[in-house]
Amino acid sequence: MSIEVRGLNKKFGDFVALDDVDVTIPTGQLTALLGPSGGGKSTLLRIIAGLEKGDSGSVNIEGTEATHLPPQKRNVGFVFQHYAVFKHMTVAKNVAFGLEIRKRPKDEIEHRVQELLKLVHLSQFSHRLPSQLSGGQRQRMALARALAVEPTVLLLDEPFGALDAKVRKELRDWLRRLHDDVHVTTVFVTHDQEEAMEVADEIVVINEGRVEQVGTPDQLYDEPANDFVMSFLGEVTHLGGVSLRPHDVEVESSPHHAGSIEGTVSRLVRIGFEVRLTVLTVDGEEVSVVLTRTHARALGLEEGSTVFLTPAAGATVIPRMAVAG
Amino acid sequence: MVSTSTPTKWALRAVAVGYVFFLVAWPVGLLIRRTFEGGLTNLTDALTDSNVVSALALTGKVAVAAVLINLVFGVTISMLLVRYDFPGKRVLSALVDVPLSVSPVVVGLALVLVYNGRDGWLGTGLEDNGISVIFATPGLVMATCFVALPLVIREVVPVLTEIGDEQEQAARSLGANAPQTFWRITLPSIKWAVVYGVVLSLARSVGEFGAVKVVSDNVAGKTQTATLSVEKSYQNFAQGEAYAIAFLLVMVCVASLIVVALLRPKVHD
Amino acid sequence: MSAALTGATIDTAGPASPQGGRTRRTTPRNTLTPGAGVGLGLAMIWFSLLVLLPLSAIVARAASGGWSQYYTVLQNPQTWNAVQLTVTQSLVVTLINVVVGTVIAWVLVRDRFWGQRLLNVIIDVPFALPTVVAGLVLLGLYGPNSPIGVEWAFTPNAVTLALAFVTLPFIVRTVQPVLEELDTDVEQAAASLGASRPTIFRRIILPSLVPAIASGAALSFARAISEYGSLVLLSGNRPNQTEVVSVRVLSFIENGNYSSAAALASVMLFIALLVIVVLDIVQRRVARRG
Ligand SMILES: Nc1ncnc2c1ncn2[C@@H]1O[C@H](COP(=O)(O)OP(=O)(O)O)[C@@H](O)[C@H]1O
Ligand SMILES: [Mg+2]
Repeated sequence: MSIEVRGLNKKFGDFVALDDVDVTIPTGQLTALLGPSGGGKSTLLRIIAGLEKGDSGSVNIEGTEATHLPPQKRNVGFVFQHYAVFKHMTVAKNVAFGLEIRKRPKDEIEHRVQELLKLVHLSQFSHRLPSQLSGGQRQRMALARALAVEPTVLLLDEPFGALDAKVRKELRDWLRRLHDDVHVTTVFVTHDQEEAMEVADEIVVINEGRVEQVGTPDQLYDEPANDFVMSFLGEVTHLGGVSLRPHDVEVESSPHHAGSIEGTVSRLVRIGFEVRLTVLTVDGEEVSVVLTRTHARALGLEEGSTVFLTPAAGATVIPRMAVAG
Repeated sequence: MVSTSTPTKWALRAVAVGYVFFLVAWPVGLLIRRTFEGGLTNLTDALTDSNVVSALALTGKVAVAAVLINLVFGVTISMLLVRYDFPGKRVLSALVDVPLSVSPVVVGLALVLVYNGRDGWLGTGLEDNGISVIFATPGLVMATCFVALPLVIREVVPVLTEIGDEQEQAARSLGANAPQTFWRITLPSIKWAVVYGVVLSLARSVGEFGAVKVVSDNVAGKTQTATLSVEKSYQNFAQGEAYAIAFLLVMVCVASLIVVALLRPKVHD
Repeated sequence: MSAALTGATIDTAGPASPQGGRTRRTTPRNTLTPGAGVGLGLAMIWFSLLVLLPLSAIVARAASGGWSQYYTVLQNPQTWNAVQLTVTQSLVVTLINVVVGTVIAWVLVRDRFWGQRLLNVIIDVPFALPTVVAGLVLLGLYGPNSPIGVEWAFTPNAVTLALAFVTLPFIVRTVQPVLEELDTDVEQAAASLGASRPTIFRRIILPSLVPAIASGAALSFARAISEYGSLVLLSGNRPNQTEVVSVRVLSFIENGNYSSAAALASVMLFIALLVIVVLDIVQRRVARRG
C-alpha cells in the first residue's frame, strides 16, 4: 500500500478542516479526492506532500514514516492548480530544477528534460519563458517538472481547475493515458464528479473534513454509502422513504405493482431525448422523474395526468434515514 | 473620461507647471548654472581639495555600509513579515515604519543618548573597550541606517506578497531546502524590488544631513561627510565649493532617479 | 521613486492580490522554523540596538525630569515660538499641498501635453535631493540678489518655501495612482444621468480621492514638522522668527542640554506616532471599503 494516512486531524483556528481522517491509497493507481469546495481535499493533499502540518495523526508513504519529514525529503511530485511555474526560468530550466537540486550530471539532466518535454508535447518550447505559454501548456510543463524527479507519488491539486472546459477535457484524457504509460501512484483533487468518474481508478469522497466513502467509480455510483455520496455523484429524488435516481423511478398510468404511489404530473419538460417530470404524490411529496421521450409518449403523459410510481427493479436505493450530516 | 473645459484645463496646467517650475526646476537649474559659472574651476578646485575629497570618500563609505546593512536586514524582515507568523508581528510591521516620520535631529539625539562615550547607556561600555560610536564612523553608519531603514522593506514586502509562495512550495516539493529555495526561487523573483530599494536607500544615505550632523563632530578630513561639508563651505563663504559638492550630490540623485525610472516597468511585469 | 516613501503603512496582513480575475489562496502562515527563528532573533537585536533602545532613551531621559521639565521646556518663549512656527507652517504647507498636489496629480493623469513626462520626473527631485542641497538650491532663487526680486531667505516665508519643497511629492504620489485606477465608466454614467462637470468632480471623483489625499496630507505634515536640513541655510535660524523645533532641539544638543532636547524630541516623537496611527486607521478603512 502506497500512502497510508491514519487518524489525521487539522484545525485552522477553531475551524476543523480534517476530522480524524483514515485513508489508504493504493500503489500504482490513479486515485481522485472528490468532494465539494472547502471540504478539506487540498488540506489533505498538502499534508501528504508535507506543505502543511497535521495537528495529529500520521502519514506513511511507500513504507516510509513521513509525518515529520519536510517536503523536500518526501520525494513527492506536486502539481498546483495555478501551475506555480518558476517565472524567471525557461521551460527546460523549470523541468530541470529538481534534477539540478539533486546534483545529477549535466548530460543526464539534459537528456531527461528532452525526454519529458517530448512526453508532454512541449519539445519545441523548451527555451521559452512560462509567460509565453498557454494555461494548458504551463500545466503540462508543471507536470513534467514534477515527474522529472521520479517521485514515489504524484499529487495534483485541481490541476485542470483553472483551464477552460475544452482544454480541461483534453488534459483529463491525456492524464489518463499518461498514467497508463508511467504508472506512478497518482492522487488528484477535484470537485467535479464527472472528472473523477471518468479518470480515476478509485475515488475518495471527502466532505466537511471527513471521508464519506472510498471505492471504484462503479461502487460509488451503484452502492453509495449514504445520501451525501449518492447526491454528490448524480441527481437524487425521494420516493416513499427511499432515495433513488430520477431515471430509476418507474412510471405507469395504472397501479400494476403493489405499493406503487399515486401522483399527478405537475410539470413536464422535454429536453432532447428525455422527458423530465415533477410528480406531486398523494402523500405530498415532490418526486423528480426522468424517462425517455418514447416511453413518455407511449404512456400519453401530459401535465395533470395521474401516474403511479415505483422504484425500478435493480435500482440503487437507499433508505432516507441515512441522510448524511 | 469626462473632459474638463478648455479654460479650466489650461488653468490647471498653468498652476501645476508654474508651481513646480518656480519651486523646483528653476532653483535646481540655477544651482547647476552657478556651479559652472567660472567654467569647470569650481569642480576642479573642489576635487583637488583634500578635505572635500575625503568628505566624498567618507560619504561613499558610510552610504555603502548602511545600504548593505539595510539590504540584509530589510530582506530578512520582509521574508519574516510576509512568510511567517510570530507573536508581535503587527507591532513590528508598524515599528519598521517609524524611522520615516522621526525628525533626523531626533534620530541623532536618540543615538547620542545611548552610544555617547561619556554617559551613554551602551556608549561607556563600548568606549572602555576602545570602540567609539558617536563622533566616529560607526555612529555615522548607524544614523544613516536608521533613516533609510524602511526603504528596502517597503519595496520588497508588496512584491513578496504579490508573488505568493506557491513557487517556493513547488521548489520544496522538488527537493530544494530552505536556503536553496531562497537563492534560486525567491530572490530572483524579488530581484528588481531589491535593486529598487537599494537605489532608494543609496540616494537617501548619500543625502542624509540632520542625523549625521548630530552624531558627527564635523572634523574636516575625519568625520565630515559631503552634506556636512556643503553647509560648512557655504557658511565659510566658499560658495563655489558648496555649489560644486552640491552639484555632485545632485548628480548622484539624478542617476538614482534615472535608474529607478528605467527599472519601474520591470518591477511590474 | 515614491512607493517606498509615500505609501502609508506596510500592509502584510492582506491576502495576495487576485491576479487576472482568479483568486489565489492566501499565503499560509508558517510558524517559525529554527532557521527563521534565528533570523528573527538577529534582526530584532539589530532593530533594538538601532531603533528601539535609542528611542526609549529619549523617552526615558525626558521622563526623568517629570512633567515639570516638559513645562519648563515648553514654557520657554523661544521654544514655544519654535513650536508655534513649526506647527503653523506645517499646516499651511500641508494645505497648499492638498490643493496644488491634487491639481498636479490631476494634470499628470488626465491631461496630455508636451513636457508632461519631464514634469512627472521633476516631482521626484525633492525626494532624491539631499535636504541641505535643497536649501542651497532655494537660496539661489529666493535668497539675496534674487533674480526675480523675491528675497524670502531668513524670513518666515523661507520656512514655508523649504517645507513646500521637501513635501511636494507626498500628495501627488499618493493621489496619482488612485486617479489612474479610477473607473471612468462611473463618470460617464454620471454624465449620462445629467450631472455637470463640477458635480461629477465633487460627488464622484473627490470622494474616491479623499483617503489618498488624507494619507498624503498626514505624511506631508509629519515630514514638515520634523524637517531640518533644508532650513539650515535658508531660514537663518533666527530665534523667535525662523527657528523651527528641529533647530531648537539641535541647539539644546549643541549646548549639552540633553534633557531639554529629549523633552522636546519626545513631543515630536509622540506626534510622529500619532500620524502613523492615523495613517493605519485610514488605510484600514480604505481596505475594508475595498
Ligand atoms: N491556510 C489556511 N488558513 C485558514 N483556513 C484554511 C487554510 N487553508 C484552508 N483553510 C480552510 O479549510 C477548509 C478546507 O480547505 P481546502 O482543504 O482548501 O478545501 P478544498 O480543497 O476541499 O476546497 C476551507 O474552509 C478553507 O477555508
Ligand atoms: Mg482545494
